[in-house]
Amino acid sequence: MGILSGPVSYLRFVVPSPTDGFEEAFCEALAQHAFHEIDPTSDVERAAGWVQFDDVFASEFEAKSLVDPSGHLFLKLRVDTLKVPAGTLKAYVDREARDRCRELQRDKLAKRELDVLKLEMKMRLRKRSLPRMQLLEVVWNIGTGELRLMSTSKGAATLFTDIFEKTFGLQIRPVGLLTVLWLRGMSEPEIDALAALEPERLHLIRP
Amino acid sequence: MPIQPSRDRFAFLGREFLTWLWFEAERSGGAVQVESLGPVRVEFGQRLVLESGGAVREDSTVKAEAPSLAEEARTALRVGKKVSRARLLVDVGERHFELGIDAETLTLSGVKLPTLLAGEDAQRLEERLHLIDEVENIVDELYMTFIRLRKDADAWAPVREALRAWVLEGAQA
Repeated sequence: MGILSGPVSYLRFVVPSPTDGFEEAFCEALAQHAFHEIDPTSDVERAAGWVQFDDVFASEFEAKSLVDPSGHLFLKLRVDTLKVPAGTLKAYVDREARDRCRELQRDKLAKRELDVLKLEMKMRLRKRSLPRMQLLEVVWNIGTGELRLMSTSKGAATLFTDIFEKTFGLQIRPVGLLTVLWLRGMSEPEIDALAALEPERLHLIRP
Repeated sequence: MPIQPSRDRFAFLGREFLTWLWFEAERSGGAVQVESLGPVRVEFGQRLVLESGGAVREDSTVKAEAPSLAEEARTALRVGKKVSRARLLVDVGERHFELGIDAETLTLSGVKLPTLLAGEDAQRLEERLHLIDEVENIVDELYMTFIRLRKDADAWAPVREALRAWVLEGAQA
C-alpha cells in the first residue's frame, strides 16, 4: 500500500519554497545523499538514501524531469537493514563451537577464540542474507511547500526529517494542531490568542 | 510560521474537536455545516478511542458497528474522557471517504479514497493526490469550524452548555 493504491496513511510537513533554478542544486544534493547498497563484507547494518520514485534500484536524478508537470517532486527514501538476528547468530556459533571442540578434542573454546568465531560467523551469515528493504514515499508540492511522508511511524519520521534537512538544507515542520491553522490563513495573533484557552470540563456538571 | 509548541499544551483542542464533531454529527443528523464546503456528512465508524487528558492518561477503546452509539463510549464521556482517535466516514457531495484520525496531531491514517477513474499510473497518481488534498481540506475545514467557534467566547458558551447536557443525557434517562 502506498500513494498509488490502497488506503493511505501519512504525515504532513511544511517546508519553505526553494529559490528559482533549484533543480540542478537539488540533483547534486540528491546525488550526495543517494542510496548505496550495504556491503555485506562490512559491518554496516543500516543504509539510507534517496532513490527514484518508480525505480528503487536507480538513484540518479535529472534536473529537467525532477519536478513533474503537476508541480510535485516524488521521491523514495530507501532504508536497508542487514542484521543477523542475535538468536540465529548464537545457534550457528554454538554449532560451530561444538564442531571445533570435537576436532580439537577439547571441552570448550577460549573466550578469545569464541569472539573470533562469532565475528567470522556473523560475516558468513551476512553474505548469505538479503537486507530488509523499507521504502518511504515522499511527495513534495514545490509550489505550496506541502510535504507528505507516506508513513505514520515516528521512527520513519525522525529518519526522514534528518535526511531531508541534510539533503536540501531546508528546515521542515510537522503540521499539527496549530500549524494547520496557519496554513489555513489564520493570523499569528489569532493563533497566539489560543494560548488563553483552557480545557473544557464537560462532565459531571449539570446545565 | 508559528513555532509548534509542545505537543501536550494544545492536545486538548484536538480531543475537544473530535468530541464536538461527534456531538455536532449527532445533533445535526450527520450533516455538519462547514462555511466553505456546505454540509459535510460525518459518521463515526467501527473504532473510537476516548482518553482522559490528565497527567495519568487513561483510555477506553470502543469497537462496535456504531461506537458513537455504544453506552460504553457515553460512559467514558461522562467520566471526563474525550475522543482521541476515531474512524470517520465522511461524505461531501458524491465523494465518500473513510479515514482514521488522531486528535493530537490531526494525522490521517488508513484513508480510503473514492473509486478512481484513471487507468494509467501517472493519471492515477494525480487523481489520488487530488483526492488526498480533498479529504485533507475537509478535515482541516471541520477543524477550522470548531476552532472559530471555540475561540469566540460568546458563540462557544451555548455550545458548551449543549455539549454538557448531551454528555449527561444518558445518565439522566
